[in-house]
Amino acid sequence: MTLIEAILLTVITASTPLLIAAIGELIAERAGVLNLGVEGMMIMGAAAGIAAAITTGSSAAGVAAAILAGMALAAIFGLLVLGLATNQVAAGLALAIFGLGLSGVLGAPFVGVPRAGIGKIEVPFLSDIPFLGPLLFRQDPFVYASFALVAGVAWFLGRTRAGLVLRACGENAAAAHALGYKVLRIRFLALLFGGACAGLAGAYLSLVLTPFWTSGMTSGRGWIALAIVVFASWMSWRAVAGAYLFGGVTILQLHAQGAGVPIPPQAMAALPYLVTILALVLIMQARGGGSTAPAGLGTPFVPDR
Amino acid sequence: MTITRRTLGLGTAALAGAAALPGALQAQAPLNVGFILIGPVGDFGWSTMHDVGRRRMLEVLGNRVTATQVESVAPPDFDRVANQLARTGSRLIFTTSFSYFQPTMRVAPTLPNVMFENATGTSTLPNLSIYNARFYEGRYVQGVIAARKSRSKTIGYIASFPVPEVIHAINTVMRGAWSVDPQMRIRVVWVSAWFNPAREADAARALIDQGCDVICQHTDSPAPLQLANERGVFGFGQASDMTRFAPRAHLTSSVNNWGDYYAERARAVLEGTWRPGDVWGGLNSGMFRLAPFTNMTPEETAEAERIRDAIAAGTLHPFDGPILRQDGTEVIPAGQRLTDDQIRAQNYFYRGIDVAMP
Repeated sequence: MTLIEAILLTVITASTPLLIAAIGELIAERAGVLNLGVEGMMIMGAAAGIAAAITTGSSAAGVAAAILAGMALAAIFGLLVLGLATNQVAAGLALAIFGLGLSGVLGAPFVGVPRAGIGKIEVPFLSDIPFLGPLLFRQDPFVYASFALVAGVAWFLGRTRAGLVLRACGENAAAAHALGYKVLRIRFLALLFGGACAGLAGAYLSLVLTPFWTSGMTSGRGWIALAIVVFASWMSWRAVAGAYLFGGVTILQLHAQGAGVPIPPQAMAALPYLVTILALVLIMQARGGGSTAPAGLGTPFVPDR
Repeated sequence: MTITRRTLGLGTAALAGAAALPGALQAQAPLNVGFILIGPVGDFGWSTMHDVGRRRMLEVLGNRVTATQVESVAPPDFDRVANQLARTGSRLIFTTSFSYFQPTMRVAPTLPNVMFENATGTSTLPNLSIYNARFYEGRYVQGVIAARKSRSKTIGYIASFPVPEVIHAINTVMRGAWSVDPQMRIRVVWVSAWFNPAREADAARALIDQGCDVICQHTDSPAPLQLANERGVFGFGQASDMTRFAPRAHLTSSVNNWGDYYAERARAVLEGTWRPGDVWGGLNSGMFRLAPFTNMTPEETAEAERIRDAIAAGTLHPFDGPILRQDGTEVIPAGQRLTDDQIRAQNYFYRGIDVAMP
């Protein structure tokens, strides 16, 4: 394996949790709900995932528990912002803090319990393709899941009637409501999907990337996922670019340091953020400005009865 | 009681009620000791070991003390948390990170009735003590072991921030390695965090991909060691005994033990004998020890034990001269030894380390 292959492999694993969480949040935001609690749902997924995996001895049970934990938190958030029409920003921030705290309690008995990570699965024949084969087809199941998620979400939003309805709820909830669509139900389902993805991303951290539990182990990745949705201007394929750009620069700067490139580490650490902001500015320039956010994003909707 | 920064406010009202108790009762009230931690108590590293120390203090002093602990406090929040602890009755506060040293220097004069103790700080005040362990002694042993174990003759070092504590540790690892093999080299990656498991693991991946086959870490999670295990190279645990995370990769861990010091200092406050101090305990002080050597041949173990014991006995000193900076200028000639203040102020790499100082 060459150094370049090794670097790219690491980039893929570093980017995958960001991508999975971002694609879930993207769906929620396209439905018009801003859920800032991704970090909280993600770490709950990480905690529930490893707790279930250690207790039952089954990685699959861990993944399922992580998804359910993310959805449970999203459901609480949904009851607050959809049922009670509370402020989405405040409720989202509260959810992030709540998740961090609760995961610490849930994970306490599992601190310092080591566990073997989920291994890689080779796709027959395809993994023998030179260079691309090992990168794309000799990966852990989460990487394949992230590819499938992106393709599925892109197809759903762009090619299906249900996707169109979901987007209508995000652009103009009143109009969707007038057409007879159940806006709150659709938004709630979108939130649950976002929670499931965040939980799955958390499981990737605690079951694959660093298979153990320590509290606070997501270290702000949920917030990065939120930023990637904005970077992607709410388009699923661009979320891939955003996640891989961020993950790629993060890994490259670590390699550059190891190789002794004489740039201060503080500047290196800021590089992923700088590059992402720069790319965003360039995209906006090329398009000639203007907001691309769903028009109804963050606005509570109360159906008139 | 362990509480998070966010719920600290909730306790204030209850404690305010306690403050209204009659004076006679208050005189018998136990001493409340505050602890401010940089990471989560469940990091299985630095912060966990301070929590273990806190529990040891409670065990030793029983009902004469209580403790209030606030975890994961970012340095910008430090002033608020410290003031809150002081207001709610803590008369002795341990601020357990170098990142809190400057904030503690700033806050301590404004709270003259509270005794502060900063871990790894570099100067004292009338109500501020500093305490630290001479972890570099363990780093020297790590360097010796690394030179024996490495095939590629390259050590990978996952560093947090370019502060003297980390810089002199890197220098000392290489001092130890060169004592075995002068050809040893080092690569350094700064991750700009004390605790970020996935990034620490990514840094370890990068170093291993670049040919390092012994990983030293100056960050708090077991992630780098665990990755070393997965990739078939060696590593050292940080702060607590991390053997179980890497049964095939673990060589030794530096295991911190703050409990006896915490109990002693709390007792001093209770008895009115607390004075600002500057404690820097080595291997012989019990403030830290090396976990049992694993994955080493009997000869390698014997050598590591011999070096460790020589350092503990004071017959081998990692900061004996001659010491040359990277550019070749002499810090001290042969026959001299760096003073503690000089060690604590180290902001240069030794000659032979071909890594740029950030």
